Amino acid sequence: MSSSVLVVVEIRNGAPVRASLEALGVGRRIAGPPGSGTVTAVLLGSGSESSSTTVAERGVDKVLSVADPRFDAFHAVVWAAAIAAIAREIDAGTILVAGTSNGRELVGRLAARWEAAAVNGVADLSLAADGTLMAVRPVFSGRALQEVRVDQTRAVLGLRPNAFTAPEPSGSKASVEAHPTPDLGQLPALGVVSGFEPAQTGSGPDLSEALVVVSGGRGLRGPENFRLLEDLAGALGGAIGASRAVTDSGWKPASFQVGQTGRTVSPQLYIAVGISGAIQHVVGMISSRTIVAINSDPNAPIFKVADYGVVGDLFQIVPALTAEIRRVRGS
Amino acid sequence: MELLVLIKPVPDPETRLRPNAAGTNLDTDGVKWVLTGYDESAVEQALLLKEAIPGSKVRAIAFGPAPRTEEILRSALALGCDAATWVEQPADTPTDPMRAAAALTVACQKTPFDLILVGKQALDDEAGLVGPALAERLGIADYGPVVDVRWDAAGRRFTFARAVEGGSDRVSAPTPLVVCLQQAWNDPRTAKLQNVLKARRIAIDKVTWAEVAAGIGSAAPGTHVTAFRLPPPRTGAKMIEYRTPDEAAQKLVRLLREEAKVLP
Repeated sequence: MSSSVLVVVEIRNGAPVRASLEALGVGRRIAGPPGSGTVTAVLLGSGSESSSTTVAERGVDKVLSVADPRFDAFHAVVWAAAIAAIAREIDAGTILVAGTSNGRELVGRLAARWEAAAVNGVADLSLAADGTLMAVRPVFSGRALQEVRVDQTRAVLGLRPNAFTAPEPSGSKASVEAHPTPDLGQLPALGVVSGFEPAQTGSGPDLSEALVVVSGGRGLRGPENFRLLEDLAGALGGAIGASRAVTDSGWKPASFQVGQTGRTVSPQLYIAVGISGAIQHVVGMISSRTIVAINSDPNAPIFKVADYGVVGDLFQIVPALTAEIRRVRGS
Repeated sequence: MELLVLIKPVPDPETRLRPNAAGTNLDTDGVKWVLTGYDESAVEQALLLKEAIPGSKVRAIAFGPAPRTEEILRSALALGCDAATWVEQPADTPTDPMRAAAALTVACQKTPFDLILVGKQALDDEAGLVGPALAERLGIADYGPVVDVRWDAAGRRFTFARAVEGGSDRVSAPTPLVVCLQQAWNDPRTAKLQNVLKARRIAIDKVTWAEVAAGIGSAAPGTHVTAFRLPPPRTGAKMIEYRTPDEAAQKLVRLLREEAKVLP
C-alpha cells in the first residue's frame, strides 16, 4: 500500500473545522513519521488560501490549496471529482475525510469515483504489521462495535468527529502550494444552493461537534429554566441539547433534540439534566466519552448509563456546578 | 414520474444485540427484520410524490439475502409502492456497502427513473455510503441528508433542505437525482391490513446474482467485518454523596478533572 495519505480539510466560517484537524493527526500516524510516508492536505474553495497556514503547522508534509469558488458550495459530485483527480496525481493510498455532514456524504461518492474501499464513521484506526488498515466503528447507534479490515490498496475513510485528537501547531511549517483546479470531467446537472438557514441552537458550538453537551429534559419544568443550562454550557464552552419530551412540548426547537429521532452526539462530556434516560434518548448520546446525570429520581434509568450521578434538585445542583466550573477555570 | 426507493432489511430496533459464536457479526438467530427509520422516510416521501404528481409510479428496490429482503419489499408494497425489485445476494457471498451500492446500481439501470430516494444511512451499520456511491456510478448528482422536500408541478425540479452543522442549506436541483433522506421527519404512514394481504399477491422482480456479478465484476469486496462486539457494559454511575449542592459540585468537578480527565 502506498503510504501517501491525502487529508481533505473542510473550511467553515473562514477556518478549518476541528474534525479536519483531527484527521491530520490520524494521517500523520498512519503515514509514519516524516520521511517515511507523506501526508498531503487539500483545501478546496475560495477560503482555502487563508486556512492553509493553520493546516501547514499541524505535522503535514504539504498543503494543496485549490482556491476555486466552484467548491464554495458543497456538491459531493464536484468535490469527489476534484479530490479523486488529486489523489491520482499524488498516488495516494488513503484519503481521510472528517465525518461532518459534508464529509459523510463525500466518502461513498469519492470511493466510487476513485475505485477505492470505503469506511464511514471510523472511531479508531490502526495499521497492522503488514500495512493493512483496521477500523473500529460504532454501529446500531453505539450499541455495538464493528471492526472492519480494509482489503484494497486504496481506501477512503470517514472519521467520527471528537474521536481523535487534533495535533497542536508545531514550529515547523509545511509548504503551501496553490494547485490549479483539476480536470473535473463531465459533471451532471447540479443543484443550486440558494441559501443557508442557521439552526436555532443558541450561540455555542454546533451540537454534533461540541466537546461538551449539556442537555435538559422534562425535569426543567419549563422553557425559561433552560437559562440554567445555558449558563453551565457557557462556562464549559459547550452546546445545549434536549430530550424529546422537551422538543415535543415546544420548549426548544426540534434541532436541539438528541436521540433516535434527533441528533447523535459523541462529545467528551455529556451532562444530562432532568432527563430520565429513555432508550430513545440514550442511543443518541451513548457514545459520549463521559456521561454525567443530574436527576431528582434515584431510580431514573439515566443513572445506569451515566459515569457519574448526582441525585438532587437540579435547580440547586446546576447553579452550584456552574459556579464551581467558573471558579476552577478562573473566570 | 418514475420514482425508485432503495430499502434494506434491518434488525428491529428493539432487538437485543449479541455477537455470533465466532464474534464476527451480529447473531441473526431469531432477529425480526423490518423497514426502519430512514427507509420509512424514503418510502413515505416517494408515496407523497406519487400522490401529488399524476401518473407517477414507485418501485422499491432492495439488495440482500432471502427471505428477509423479499419480506421488506412486501412491506413497501403494502405501504403503497407499485412494484418491487429484489437484488439477490446469495447467503454465503460476502458484501460491503460499496458493493451493495454497485449491486443496486445494476437494478436501477434496468428501469427508467427520475428520482431515487434512499435513507442517508441504514439504522444497523450506519455506513451512509450507498446513496452517494450509487449516484456516482449512475453519473448523477446526489444530496443528503435531506429534509423538507418540495417539488414543482411537473416533478422536474426539487427543492429541499440539506442538514449541515449549524443549520441547513436550501438546495434546488433538477432530475435525475439521488436524495438521501434524514429519518422520521415526515411522519411515515403504516400499512392497512387489506393492503398487506394484497401485497402478498404482487410479483417481485428479481435481479440475479449472476446479473449483478456481470455488472460489477467478481472482485472481492473492499472491506470485511472481522469482529462484532458489544461495548463494555456500563456498570452504573458512580453516585456523588454530598451534604450541600456546593459540595456535590466540588466533588463532581474534581472527578471530571482528575479521574475522567475531561475538564482541563
